[in-house]
Amino acid sequence: MDMLLSFRPLFDLFLIHLGFAYSQYIVLRAGAFSIGNVGLSAIGAYTAAILTVNYGLPLPVTLLAGTFAGLAFGALLAIPLARLRGVYQAIASLAFVQIVLSANLYAENITGGAMGFSGIPKLVGTGTLLVCALATIYVMLAISRSRLGRAFDAVREDEGMAVSLGINAARTQAVAYMISGLLAGLFGSLEALHSYAVEPNQFGFHLIIVVLSYVVLGGRRSIWGPLVGVALLIALPEISRPLADARIMIYGLILMAVMNFMPRGIVDTLVARRRSRAATPEVRQAEVKG
Amino acid sequence: MTDLVLEHVHKNFGGVIAAKDVSMRVPAGRITGLIGPNGAGKTTLINLITGMLSLSSGKVLFGDRDISAEPADKVARAGMGRTFQNIRLQKEASVLANVMVGFHRHETCSLIAAILGLPSSRREDALLRQRAMALLGRFGMAGHADSPAGSLAYGHQRKVEMMRALATDPELILLDEPVAGMNDVEALQLGRIFRELADEGKAILLIEHNMRFVQELCDHVYVLDGGRLIAEGKPREVVADPAVITAYLGEE
Repeated sequence: MDMLLSFRPLFDLFLIHLGFAYSQYIVLRAGAFSIGNVGLSAIGAYTAAILTVNYGLPLPVTLLAGTFAGLAFGALLAIPLARLRGVYQAIASLAFVQIVLSANLYAENITGGAMGFSGIPKLVGTGTLLVCALATIYVMLAISRSRLGRAFDAVREDEGMAVSLGINAARTQAVAYMISGLLAGLFGSLEALHSYAVEPNQFGFHLIIVVLSYVVLGGRRSIWGPLVGVALLIALPEISRPLADARIMIYGLILMAVMNFMPRGIVDTLVARRRSRAATPEVRQAEVKG
Repeated sequence: MTDLVLEHVHKNFGGVIAAKDVSMRVPAGRITGLIGPNGAGKTTLINLITGMLSLSSGKVLFGDRDISAEPADKVARAGMGRTFQNIRLQKEASVLANVMVGFHRHETCSLIAAILGLPSSRREDALLRQRAMALLGRFGMAGHADSPAGSLAYGHQRKVEMMRALATDPELILLDEPVAGMNDVEALQLGRIFRELADEGKAILLIEHNMRFVQELCDHVYVLDGGRLIAEGKPREVVADPAVITAYLGEE
């Protein structure tokens, strides 16, 4: 039991980062190379923290406000990013993260500046996190099986093709930004109300790399990709703890190995392998008959 | 019943003229052919019609609607389906998924229903799955429903593109070399489907190199060379036209 309890902070971290990973996943799924979700998480976290500490609002209200703030800024972010593609989109969204970061640094009287915003009561426990994470997975599943998921896939794979089928690419990606903002805002709020304090650099370059790694390592297509990515990358440092100083190196080596041998991420590579194996005999049969 | 009419369509990329004063008519219920040597500007013309490229001048009318300046997704929603010369599929997705995305413009369930997986979204998904399977049956592809589209033979990939275009339930279908890479038997089967579609009242514009296929199928043919129309008429007359022979084979 003690053993299990000692893993609880790790499990909480896993659940929060799962939300961050899905907010990254959904934009990539729709073919948008945005990393702006990290900035949106910061907006959610600060909104929830300020409303809780300064205004004493109850948990459901602050969570909703943080979520909505993420969604609203996600919708705003969609406007300039709709004109950009690929690496240009990534750079512009990185700039957005920097803007949020410096706003949080310089607006000292509201955000506490570089010292961070502390004294946040811990209102969120494993139960709330688990409910939110499960709800997120459910929504991801629902989207995958709907017109929205099909539109996301079409725009990502080939925008010209998607457009020829009547899909409005900019609008489709805007929906992805909003869902991404919603998740980023929600899990940013959860993070703030779970960890007593937030500070600007917490939502900076480091988190971008971490969250991107989850999705790229796990897989960008299947909805189980982010789950596997987060589980693996959070468990890995713990498992390799006995290796002490070498563990960061091991972490890096494993990332490189996976990217070399499974460039599409673990889950997507496995799914593709299983599909092509399942399809082969059938296709051969049909070819012989035809 | 919707006709497509091109009026003095002109397109230049800087100094290069890709389409010069092209006027043509693609009536509903007919199969209209568009032929011409490589580089004649056939695919450019398709891209101009579908809004993938913008016109330098001229007009494209679809029914009583002027679509000259409409973006491509709006043109598609107006009822124009197309296939691509260089096949454009979601290669790793199943054949069924590739076809189902074609239904996009007819999907009615709300965004919220889709995000929350409400019954209306699930019902629509099941219904479209059935309709996609029916399309696969029509093209003799039902056995390939779950195969990744990229793993199929070339000719089958073309069929997936056609099914996807048909899923949009278009009034006009633009087929860019639909039977390239197919044998005569397969081409004939597809030709029969094209004829059925025309008989249902759809307008069909067929770009093709296979002259026998064009002669058998088309009611009216336009010949393009260097971005200009050099001949039009019944297929048999057109292939005998000295200007057409010169364009294809060069001067004596």
